[in-house]
Amino acid sequence: MGIEIKCFATLAGLEPENAADYPVSEGETVNSLLAKIGIPAEEVAIIFINSVRSFADSPVRDGDRVGLFPAVGGG
Amino acid sequence: MSSLPKAVRARAATAALPDGGMGLILPPTAIRDIARDFGLPGCEVEASALELGIHPERYLRNRRAVSDTDQRLLLRARAAQVGLGGLGGLLLDQFLRLGVGHLRAADGDAFETTNLNRQALATAETLGMSKAEAARLRAAEVNPSVRLEARNEFLTPETLPAFLDGCSLAVDALGGLEIRPALRKAAAEAGIPLVTGALAGWVGYVGVVLPGSVSPSDIMGQRESAEKQLGCPAPAVNLMASLMAAEAVKLLCGRPSSLAGKMLIVDLGALSFDTVTL
Repeated sequence: MGIEIKCFATLAGLEPENAADYPVSEGETVNSLLAKIGIPAEEVAIIFINSVRSFADSPVRDGDRVGLFPAVGGG
Repeated sequence: MSSLPKAVRARAATAALPDGGMGLILPPTAIRDIARDFGLPGCEVEASALELGIHPERYLRNRRAVSDTDQRLLLRARAAQVGLGGLGGLLLDQFLRLGVGHLRAADGDAFETTNLNRQALATAETLGMSKAEAARLRAAEVNPSVRLEARNEFLTPETLPAFLDGCSLAVDALGGLEIRPALRKAAAEAGIPLVTGALAGWVGYVGVVLPGSVSPSDIMGQRESAEKQLGCPAPAVNLMASLMAAEAVKLLCGRPSSLAGKMLIVDLGALSFDTVTL
């Protein structure tokens, strides 16, 4: 079992093909995950794991749902 | 001199109510006349009519969805909205139709051609017109009972506190991320909740920020925001504005919002809805 990754808006094009079941390693964090996928950390404004705001050093574990949201300000 | 209740009763008519049975209603022309005769805003005449069990006809189709008590609260509410563009024009329209009695709104912009894809107040007629003036015209057309104070100015961190003064709700209908944190701070200092929202392409979010809480735009900071690449299509703007208006109604009626301290992220491409605790 892996994790589910959802990349929003400008990040959608960077979402990995296996985003519905992405493998994670022991000790994985959001930062290491972003590096693995190839998403520049500075392009991610809001990180959420299982519907709670998280941070670059937050641990990522099997079964988690990870959301990556860029800066959005249109009105 | 006739009293206000007497004048309202004299102009009330018996009619079938949408949810069954008969009741007393007050048509818009009667409200206009009574408001003029008594030197009152129409919203106050309407609130007084509701106290007498007489329904302003223009809100009849809101009945049950907006209780008589809530309608009275809305008619006497004061909300401050920053921005009269995409989200702002649609919010204004909804607040007018809901009968939010006292609206203060500001935007220093004028309509240009690229606003026509989404901004409710942008038409061939209003191109080049200030958004504040277009808002005044719209309010007079849609609901003259609402007292709208529309300012043709861009608010700043210095002018925001006075703009919010006397209002019980702040509405963030700004474009871009630059001023949003200052509005959040001014609302917190005024001790009032803030309804916020934004979008880029088919993705958007709506949040409710209570004083002392973090807002989505605080977290986003002053980065280059995604709408510059992805644009702002009308369905996404309309949906975010509607979600914002629905939360504004709850807050103006003194009820909690289940989005307080959270953001609802909507992706119309994937048709996903995620509520995130901030």
